[in-house]
Amino acid sequence: MASEDEVSLLVIVVDVNPIWWGQQAQREPEFNLSKCLDAVMVMANSHLVMTRTNKLAIIASHCQESHFLYPNKHWKAGDVAGDEVSSGSGDGKYELLSVANDLVAEEIRNLMARTQVKGHQTDTLLAGSLAKALCYIHRVSKELEAGQDMKSRILVVKAAEDCALQYMNFMNVIFAAQKQNILIDACVLDSDSGLLQQACDITGGLYLKIPQKTALAQYLLWVFLPDADQRSQLVLPPSVHVDYRAACFCHRNLIEIGYVCSVCLSIFCNFSPICTTCETAFKIPLPQMMKPKKKKLKTAN
Amino acid sequence: MFNVDRRLKFPSALILCLHYPACLLVMAALSEEVLLVVKRVRQRKQDGTLYLMTERIAWGPEGKDRFTVSHLYADIRCQKISPDGKSKIQLQLVLHTGESTTFHFANESTALKDRDAAKDLLQQLLPKFKKKANKQLEEKNKMLQEDPVLFQLYKDLVVSQVISAEEFWASRLKLSSVEHSLSNNSKQEVGISAAFLADIRPQTDGCNGLKYNLTSDIIESIFKTYPAVKQKYAENVPHNLTEKEFWTRFFQSHYFHRDRINTGQQDIFSECAKQDEKGLKSMVVQGVKNPMVDLLSLEDKTLDEGYGSLTVGPNSSKTVKENSNSAIIKRFNHHSAMVLAAGLRKVDAPSDQASETSSTDGNSRDSDFFQPPIKKVKLQEAIEYEDLQNGSGPKTIALNLKKSDRYSHGPVPLQSHHYSTSQDIINSVSCIQEEISCYKPCLTRVMPSSAASSAITALSPGGLLMQAGTQQAVSQLVPTDVQSELKHLYTAAGELLRHFWSCFPVNTPFLEEKVVKMRSNLERFQSTKLRPFQEKIQREYLSTNLTSHLDEMIQAAYNKFHAWQTRRMARKT
Repeated sequence: MASEDEVSLLVIVVDVNPIWWGQQAQREPEFNLSKCLDAVMVMANSHLVMTRTNKLAIIASHCQESHFLYPNKHWKAGDVAGDEVSSGSGDGKYELLSVANDLVAEEIRNLMARTQVKGHQTDTLLAGSLAKALCYIHRVSKELEAGQDMKSRILVVKAAEDCALQYMNFMNVIFAAQKQNILIDACVLDSDSGLLQQACDITGGLYLKIPQKTALAQYLLWVFLPDADQRSQLVLPPSVHVDYRAACFCHRNLIEIGYVCSVCLSIFCNFSPICTTCETAFKIPLPQMMKPKKKKLKTAN
Repeated sequence: MFNVDRRLKFPSALILCLHYPACLLVMAALSEEVLLVVKRVRQRKQDGTLYLMTERIAWGPEGKDRFTVSHLYADIRCQKISPDGKSKIQLQLVLHTGESTTFHFANESTALKDRDAAKDLLQQLLPKFKKKANKQLEEKNKMLQEDPVLFQLYKDLVVSQVISAEEFWASRLKLSSVEHSLSNNSKQEVGISAAFLADIRPQTDGCNGLKYNLTSDIIESIFKTYPAVKQKYAENVPHNLTEKEFWTRFFQSHYFHRDRINTGQQDIFSECAKQDEKGLKSMVVQGVKNPMVDLLSLEDKTLDEGYGSLTVGPNSSKTVKENSNSAIIKRFNHHSAMVLAAGLRKVDAPSDQASETSSTDGNSRDSDFFQPPIKKVKLQEAIEYEDLQNGSGPKTIALNLKKSDRYSHGPVPLQSHHYSTSQDIINSVSCIQEEISCYKPCLTRVMPSSAASSAITALSPGGLLMQAGTQQAVSQLVPTDVQSELKHLYTAAGELLRHFWSCFPVNTPFLEEKVVKMRSNLERFQSTKLRPFQEKIQREYLSTNLTSHLDEMIQAAYNKFHAWQTRRMARKT
């Protein structure tokens, strides 16, 4: 029973890493990028249909750029009428949905068409996409009318693996989202992502690694469609135990107890008298040697 | 010396009571000097006589010559008297231990006088003995009252004789004794409420009279603020007037009501009024020496025609109404000035007449503060802003990081990446481009229904993805009283283990003794506290092993002790 004043914005960040999806198409032909996009569209349509004031944005996270699939810069909600006569959606669907779907399809086609193969850029730019999502949310919140409230969340559909180089940016994005009370949910298709687990834990969202990719739409609708207020009333998958252990700077092992340099705060698993990062020398007092009692002198006397 | 008694009285304030050695309490009454004897005093419905002696107060029943009730003044915390209107005239003594003894003065004619005499004498004697109460004791008392966790720990460990009181306080008092001495010296004095006169709300007496309730706090405030009144009090009471009469006259006087327009009544307070006038005049003349404050610019400026300002000259004649207004304003100013001056005056130099008189007329001591060198410093402070100057801060050593890229690597362990050859990459990309170039959303066939229903099963309670949620938290399975008992056990065990582990490395014979003692304390703790708790939870069929961690910790301590002991034996032989 959302009132007119409550706006709910959902930003869906879809990982469209062409390399991973291309390999996936060869591994499992029944679930490819098209199917994934279909499922995401179903989710997006459902969100728009739930309440009239719901807003939506979809960002495609590519290895070369992060691109807004919806909404489009050049498209305004008003000018639907004359243009799309030939859109082929003569099925009486709500026009907003059909226009949105067509827009998304066109954008992804353009995006993939302009992909250029570059050997060293194989990682999904997820941190950048999340940052764009946060900026979009911020912009929309400024454009609200007086008296309107906005609750926003980000849903990440992740396919490829984590990129360790994006760690700092990722953590910054997570903390910024936490400050803005923006939930980050994650639906992971393939391999578990420690960064997204942390993101969901810190911001209060849901993390789910789905066992069956073909049923993606079902998982999205069941788990990720309800917003934060409704989730407390539903029985949803419990939260995952997050491994918050730090990794030592020398071997990158995850350790529970270690040594921390008091000058530069770098973590080591073994003690060494000189910190390798800031080159500070440390002294540790050696245990005192007890003096042997001089019994012999006594007997001599 | 004093024996510290470990018994605590609940639920009232817990106090560790001092016991004097028994010899003083014996019937050595006759050898003490008796200061006051009051006959016909009943205690517990028995007639008897009350004796006030130099060091204690005692009561013996009628006909017998020994005392059944005897309290040292040092043991008495305070005395209370029954209110004036009551038929029973009583005096109650409240001891430090919380006990109280009530004496009922039953002599018809002189009961009130007797009771008041006893009360006055006690009032004089009690403060002398109060100082002897152990200050440390009060401190301990305060600490235990303020911290319920500490109190619980004390109950668990000292009351049940697991460790002795000295060990318990050994590490704690060290921390607080230093702060305490500091705080005692720099205790802030309580100032005077500016509304203290207004707080004495008069109550109508029923027949045109007014009743003012004066507490000693208010009286003190009045004396502090108006030293003239204090002087008058010292002069007149108790020679000419009783206290009650003094205050009655005070409130009746025009001095209090300040209809200064018609003075002239024969009043002891008319002099006070004159003194106040003098004080006010000297205040005005002295002015405010603080160069930062310019009071003279706060004159009334009214708007004239054409929006210019019109300053009312000081010599313009005032109407009667304005006169009385200005009288009230004058009174307010004077009152506020006196309150402030009283706050600035140092109370702990009552014998220093010079300092007293220098501000009895309510002048602020600003003039003292603004002698030339201090004045210069103050002006300097007001002009310069420290942080706007290019001050050189303390010399710091710069941090030079050689390998700062280490920080940007997250706690993702180096895994073997799935390396794709460049041919793979090209293939994948072309494959995907082909696929998407003819992409058309087909939302009616997103997934097969079998997949959907298996997903729903997995997400339903009891399904594949919902396994972790069925485990209940331990906190829901265990009742709250068991939980709180476990918490107490943990605090107590933590305290004992802290004592134990702080003994290592064992360098001195004192630490050796302590280690052995702590080991036996731990054993005692285990047998008296831990085992019964474990048995209790076993009886209640709580299957979770709640105390395994505690057992582990204590076992680790035992192992360490054992190792240390064997090493010591080896070294000796």
